[in-house]
Amino acid sequence: MTEYVLQTEDVAIHYGGVKAVDGVDLTLSKGQIRGLIGPNGSGKSTVIDAITGRRMLTRGRVVLRGEDVSEMGVVDRRKRGLSRSFQRTSIFGQMLVGKQVELASHKMGVEDSYADTKAVLEELDLWKFAQVEAQDLGYGEQRRLDLALALVGRPSVLLLDEPMAGLSVKESLDLAQHLKQLTSSWDVSVLLVEHDMDVVFSISDVVTVFELGRVISSGEPTKVRSDPRVREAYLGSTA
Amino acid sequence: MTFYRSLLVSIIALLLGLAVLNFVTSSTLLSLFTQAIIYAVFALGIGVLLKQNGMVSFGHALYFGSAGYLLGIMLQLQWASAEALIFYTLFIITLVGLLFGLIIVRVPGVAFGMLTLAIGQMFYLTASRARGFTGGADGMNIDWPSTLFGFSVSQILKPSVIFMISWTTLIVVIFLVSCLLRSRFGAITEAVRDNEERARFIGISTLLPRAAIYSLSALISGVAGVLSALNTGFVSPENLHWSLSGMTLMMVVVGGFKVLWGPALGAVVYFMFKDILGDYATHWMTIFGVVLIAVIVFSPTGIAGAIVGWMSGKPSVGNKPAQGH
Repeated sequence: MTEYVLQTEDVAIHYGGVKAVDGVDLTLSKGQIRGLIGPNGSGKSTVIDAITGRRMLTRGRVVLRGEDVSEMGVVDRRKRGLSRSFQRTSIFGQMLVGKQVELASHKMGVEDSYADTKAVLEELDLWKFAQVEAQDLGYGEQRRLDLALALVGRPSVLLLDEPMAGLSVKESLDLAQHLKQLTSSWDVSVLLVEHDMDVVFSISDVVTVFELGRVISSGEPTKVRSDPRVREAYLGSTA
Repeated sequence: MTFYRSLLVSIIALLLGLAVLNFVTSSTLLSLFTQAIIYAVFALGIGVLLKQNGMVSFGHALYFGSAGYLLGIMLQLQWASAEALIFYTLFIITLVGLLFGLIIVRVPGVAFGMLTLAIGQMFYLTASRARGFTGGADGMNIDWPSTLFGFSVSQILKPSVIFMISWTTLIVVIFLVSCLLRSRFGAITEAVRDNEERARFIGISTLLPRAAIYSLSALISGVAGVLSALNTGFVSPENLHWSLSGMTLMMVVVGGFKVLWGPALGAVVYFMFKDILGDYATHWMTIFGVVLIAVIVFSPTGIAGAIVGWMSGKPSVGNKPAQGH
């Protein structure tokens, strides 16, 4: 039997009569990258919000490494290894790069927060900016810093909400390469929401397609790409 | 700035105060300096709130004036020695600041400013009308004992001594606050100010640090209130009025709040304008208003921000061009 690091079971988030997410079952195995795709407003980011505890569930549950975390707040989930990045770059603009990563590491209860900070920043090629204010970094570097804040404390599950948004093609490919390496070198599983189809299909082990808050297709990238429902709903004739 | 560098700068600043005493012999000028320094401490209180929480208060005169009233009333009642009562006053001000802070820092932006205004005015009206306790609109004299901390009050109130006490207080407060803000606590409050949601996601409780900074700013304003009560021996409802908070906020804006000495610089500039221009122009505030507009337009980070930017060869602090998207 496959052991999942993350599972959502029948997860639903309704706003009155609007079903933003309705009955979503997802799994994430150790070291796996699962890409989530779908048109705008299809519920991808809401699912990430539901998993991290940013939004209350209307129904269903979230299981992290065998433990039901549905009732826990964001901090408790983060301390259990569930981390995320945000759709918009979410860093501490006026703080030094090293200081903010070290603070995040300390708050995660890492004993040697300096070593953790150094490891994370080196992994993302940001160590040379440790003494630079975050607002002075270029956009691509700020996106990597956002990822660095999510990586402190060595989370087991990383939820990334459009990490490539606004990056150049080269920056996107570099970041995608980093993500792929992270799954093996850092033993982390990734749930990736991304609009860049080339990136999603090139680095994901499995892809899940959303439409109107529901999963319409899920499986290996080649299988999903050829699914007629997906082509009709999202990818269109250019896929 | 490292701890030792801050310490060195503070010691030099203290020596500078002594040097001023050697050069300035006019009692009137020393009294003006003292008043400016007391308001510099008050401005620092408001500036800390703006710097660390990104919050604008229109009601911090509440803590400035209340410190004088609390001290005055407790001295009248002779509950304890004057020295102890000074500490009780500051403790109560800090506690009240924390309690109010826990409630009102949850409210963002303009609403927060309006809440501070409302609370401040509530106390102003209470002090104006509670004649039995506060002397009402006439205010109340502070009954200082003949000695304080082992020194004769008449000696303490000599222009040169009260100047040096105020100056030392300002330098010590700036030094202590800079130490505090360099600590992990300072980093936490910066994180909450910059990005509250991300701060929550890295495990920071966002309410308590903001309330603690609010309380700290109340304490600093209270210290200024005690100094004012010592300097003038008098407190009136005007010390609680929102216009005093507004005036001090102007000092903060002119001086700049990105560095701790900015608000103090703003207070000195304000009092220089008041004294020098006040001799020539009845409506000197109009000219100061023009200066305020000029500073906001050309250096949003205040005079201190412009100085720091010029010294570091970078654009004025916090006024950097937007990056990326």
